Amino acid sequence: MKKIVSLSMLASAILFADSDLDQLKLQIQQLQEKVQNIEKQNAQKEQASIDAKVANDTSSSFSQAAYLPDIGLVLDMSALSRNIDNTAYLTQAMPGFLQSDPNGDFPFNKDNGFNLNYAEVSMHSVVDPYFDVFAVFHIHPTAIEVEEAYVRTRALPYSLLVKAGKFKSDFGRINAKHQHSWAFSSQPLIYAGLFGPDGISDPGVQLQWIAPTNTYLMAGVEAMQGTNTQSFGNVERNNLYIGYLKSSVDLTDDISVLGGISGVTGKNPNGNTNVYGADLTVRAELGNYSSLVWQSEYLKRDMDNNMTSGLTKDKQAGVYSELIYNIDENWATGARYDRIVQNDVGDMSLYAPAGVNTNNLDRTTVMLQYKPFEFSRLRLEYTDDRSKIIDGQRKNIQEVMLNLTIEAGSHGAHAY
Amino acid sequence: MKKILLSVLMATAVFANIQVDTTYATFGEIVKKVGGDKVDVVVLGASKYDPHFITPKPSLLAKLRNADLLVINGAGLEIGWLPPLIKSANNANIQSGAKGFLDISHFIPLIDKPTTVSRGFGDIHAEGNPHYITDPHMVPTIAKVIAKKLSMIDEANAGKYNTNLAKFLKEWDVYLKNFDAKMLTCKDKKVIQYHELFNYFLKEYGFTSYGNIEPLPGVSPSSKHTIETLNTMEKNGVKIILQDVYHERKTADFIAAKSGARVVILPHEMGAVSGTDTLETFYGDIASQICK
Ligand SMILES: [Zn+2]
Repeated sequence: MKKIVSLSMLASAILFADSDLDQLKLQIQQLQEKVQNIEKQNAQKEQASIDAKVANDTSSSFSQAAYLPDIGLVLDMSALSRNIDNTAYLTQAMPGFLQSDPNGDFPFNKDNGFNLNYAEVSMHSVVDPYFDVFAVFHIHPTAIEVEEAYVRTRALPYSLLVKAGKFKSDFGRINAKHQHSWAFSSQPLIYAGLFGPDGISDPGVQLQWIAPTNTYLMAGVEAMQGTNTQSFGNVERNNLYIGYLKSSVDLTDDISVLGGISGVTGKNPNGNTNVYGADLTVRAELGNYSSLVWQSEYLKRDMDNNMTSGLTKDKQAGVYSELIYNIDENWATGARYDRIVQNDVGDMSLYAPAGVNTNNLDRTTVMLQYKPFEFSRLRLEYTDDRSKIIDGQRKNIQEVMLNLTIEAGSHGAHAY
Repeated sequence: MKKILLSVLMATAVFANIQVDTTYATFGEIVKKVGGDKVDVVVLGASKYDPHFITPKPSLLAKLRNADLLVINGAGLEIGWLPPLIKSANNANIQSGAKGFLDISHFIPLIDKPTTVSRGFGDIHAEGNPHYITDPHMVPTIAKVIAKKLSMIDEANAGKYNTNLAKFLKEWDVYLKNFDAKMLTCKDKKVIQYHELFNYFLKEYGFTSYGNIEPLPGVSPSSKHTIETLNTMEKNGVKIILQDVYHERKTADFIAAKSGARVVILPHEMGAVSGTDTLETFYGDIASQICK
């Protein structure tokens, strides 16, 4: 009995299954048709879009937009009032350092009235895993010059770094900084006297090493061409060798000190030139956006000089010391004092007629600056320069200047 | 003698902890949770300062020089101070793109991405709001990313990092459940803030921000903008002003006096205000101050 029931159940199950199968087959057929239709439609659509694209292909195959270098633009201009007429100003000499040369280089704030000092275009790019490249094109109203153009390594072992190309030497504290990042518009007297507006800047190579210590200690050596005629300028072969040590400690979380000693040795047409430098910066954070920065530097030059009376050694030295008070995000004020502290040169008559006082060369500069925003800066600066000979006379230069500096596009982060 | 020296050297090489530098304190704490006793953590930027503008002290170069891994917030937050330090630290490990460089923002869905970018709008964050650290729900993602990175750099201890991670995630899950429950009791959900530091937190917990005290990112308050802000607050009944520790407080106090709103000084990083020296107290302080 049991067997029959189960048998018939089995049979009916098979029967049911048969009709189920037919239905399934039908469904599958329908589905297949649907899929085919969709595929057909898709193919048509794809073909249509290909047709359209081929007919009207505007997209680029080799776009390298993502690899464009970072580009920055700096503009620097001023309105200026000075107690010396423009023509007379160009005759200026600085006893022992700069002879009168009306055709000389006065790149910043030369004229009574309005000055467009420069437009500076900077570019930076990561070349590959091993090199960064950096270039600054300094565009004066009358000339364009490559201020810096160098590659630097990214992946050297043992905390080493190599830089090659044309660059500003890391000699001293301010030499490597560009004019628009100085606290005052004018160069410290001793830098202007020894190296001129560009500082030590030449084609060459640099090697720097950071010691594996908890305290920051960096040592660097550089070999450069030595084209700077104010101190060197004998370029029959590359003649400039530079070395420096820099170290920094944090006295507290908010007070940091950076010190350095530097030396450079080179050749001038009469013999050797050696320049030694020492610098010290103390920075105290007074709060957010508020700080006191005291920065001082001493530079000393020993230079062979070939006089009619025989070979002499000129010995000269100067200092500057500046105190900047960053009041808040927008305002800052500061003062700087410059002084030539040693000026023993063979022939002072190259710089001033006999009888003109060439001692006590110094300068005072004060400034008040307002930054409406991070990338623009208005600076009111007063200078009393007591270091110049004008038209053969010792004459103090007093000037008031309103300086506007703009940094647009990509630009370097704030330096210490 | 040589042998001893060699074995000492090898021993230090084998057992030396890896040094992880982080730009801010909260990341540093998360690295400690995941890294445990296998990592030494160095935090570069103090929490009391504006994270956009840390003073690039040369001593930071000595700290970066020895790093095996550098963990940054990214999304442009460090662009005003970190890039020249990385360049001058002479450390191949931590150059962007190198194995020891980790930008956490690449793993976070950023909000407030501007459609047009111009400095005419102030110092906006072109890649989106970078201040995701104020949202406690970001912590697990950050911890996971850091654990993965540590395991890649220090394969020998990968197991340890994963164990630490699992333990931390479990604890944090409990903490978050509690935290979210407490936030449910928070009723007043209308605020203004000085800078858009807390948008991730506000979004997570359904707050509405009715504007910023700064007229544009990075621009100091103007009287015109302050009056507009006061009007908006009055119209919408906003009674909470979120102030950070590093901006001036005068404007917030002025607005509070005029509108009857209360100023709350919130930590934007662990340790920015006293008593927020752990992850728990950091987020706890934000919550309890907003929901007073
Ligand atoms: Zn921001």
